[in-house]
Amino acid sequence: MTIFVVSVLAILIFVLPLVAASEFSFRGAKGMGHSFTNYIWLIHQDGFSEHILTSLQLAVLSGLLNLILMVPTAVLLHLKLAKWRSLVEFICILPLIIPVVSLAIGAQVSMPKFIQNSQYELVCFFVIIALPFTYRALDAALSSIDIKTLVEASRSLGASWPATIVRVIIPSIKGGITSALFLSFALAIGEFTITSLLHWDTFPTWAVVAAQQNILGAIALSVFSFVGAVLLMVLIALFSNRKRSKTNSKLEEVAA
Amino acid sequence: MEKEAVATRSEGTARHSFSISKITFPLLPFFTFVGFFLLWPILAVTIRSLKGNKNEWTLENYRPLIHGSYFHAFLVSIKLASITALIGALLGGLFAYVIVNSAGPKLTSVLDSISAVFANSGGVPLAFMFIAAFGTEGLFTKFLKVLGWDIYAGKFTLFSFTGVAIVYSFFQIPLMILVFKPALKGLRKEWSEASTNLGASPITYWRRVVIPILTPSFLGAFFLLFAGGFSAYATARAMTVGTVPLVPIIIGTLVDGNVISNQANLGDALAVGMIIVAAIAMSGYLFAQRRANRWRSA
Repeated sequence: MTIFVVSVLAILIFVLPLVAASEFSFRGAKGMGHSFTNYIWLIHQDGFSEHILTSLQLAVLSGLLNLILMVPTAVLLHLKLAKWRSLVEFICILPLIIPVVSLAIGAQVSMPKFIQNSQYELVCFFVIIALPFTYRALDAALSSIDIKTLVEASRSLGASWPATIVRVIIPSIKGGITSALFLSFALAIGEFTITSLLHWDTFPTWAVVAAQQNILGAIALSVFSFVGAVLLMVLIALFSNRKRSKTNSKLEEVAA
Repeated sequence: MEKEAVATRSEGTARHSFSISKITFPLLPFFTFVGFFLLWPILAVTIRSLKGNKNEWTLENYRPLIHGSYFHAFLVSIKLASITALIGALLGGLFAYVIVNSAGPKLTSVLDSISAVFANSGGVPLAFMFIAAFGTEGLFTKFLKVLGWDIYAGKFTLFSFTGVAIVYSFFQIPLMILVFKPALKGLRKEWSEASTNLGASPITYWRRVVIPILTPSFLGAFFLLFAGGFSAYATARAMTVGTVPLVPIIIGTLVDGNVISNQANLGDALAVGMIIVAAIAMSGYLFAQRRANRWRSA
């Protein structure tokens, strides 16, 4: 009974706007009939594919930078430097405390010119904004395994440090790594605030300009970005879920 | 709590430390990066907000914040954040409860990723979806009209305070689902069984066990939602063209260039003002989080 009521409520709140927007997005020219007119209009807009590529590129880069920076940091904190953990944990919450608008103003005031002149500065800020989520994902993965024992075992069986990292540490926190990657990627691909305040152009900021010309086209654009994002996320989630259970069962085999 | 216990224990057992490397401070990359891209910008904007036109120290930039239109904008922003955080917390909490108790693992992971997308949604896509549903020509508006309820009969528009509040709830509810679900998962089956065995009715179980245990997590989530709603920029920017005065929008306009010369540092003061409000909310979150963790250590 409760389930039924709640499902109906959820559908009202989340599905109806999407359905309404989809219906509008398929309306034909001058609002007559239904066709792909608006989507065709969207694809032919200047800069459509370029801006999608820019956003994808920035998102991939910030996912990678996030891993390069945070995986060693999180592993070290669990392995050796436990006394630094509360400080790092606090720093990683800061991006939730500091509004992105304020960070953007700060960036304008403080960043040297050569950084402000490159759009890759966005990658660094995307990593900062994603920090609370990626750190938590990695921390949770590391807390759920006994990494010290695993490393000790691997080392005492004669594995070198690089082998230990590649064949023990990374596989055992694969779940955490994928979700960290996934979170920072998702955040970067839709980020609007700091991008627009630092005057860069990505797909979300391009969308604002494109939306001003044609309301049905703008609605098609909304449906496109929403459905695209949901599909991407669900695919990654299902994929990483399967992988995670595989590594888990492998670990269990090892343990048995 | 638990984490700390584990940490100290494992530190004790691993006295023979690994020779990880001879680097004196392996956390240096992290601290350098965070220092340069997070702490330094914040410090810089704080310092500049305290400087006058002749580079002298002053609190003058903060004067407009405590009365008049900027003060009003802070009030409106805080009101919007509180209302949408409350709606999000109540409905999102309910949805999370149902998901935890009746969805299988596969459905849960799909719902999780959908929630993640919706919680991060905003800006133009979200605004236009609501225009399609609840705008003057919207599908849902027309449907309600057929049923005899003209939502546009009164003063309602989608671009008013109420309209923006409805749209904000669209990302607050899924955010609540994401942050509140772990707390709900922490409710042990044994507790309900124990209280039933001791003769408690379901109502007593809720009143004496569930609500006291969940209250800190619920409050924490509320503060988190408040901070998120308070600093949301993209959606407000797409929906309010000056119709609802919100602090992030005002800062955005100042940044975009139309700055009157004697207000050069006003944007900085507003930005620091926002940090202060958000920091107060987040200290509520951290405090509540600490209380909530007490139960997990058992």
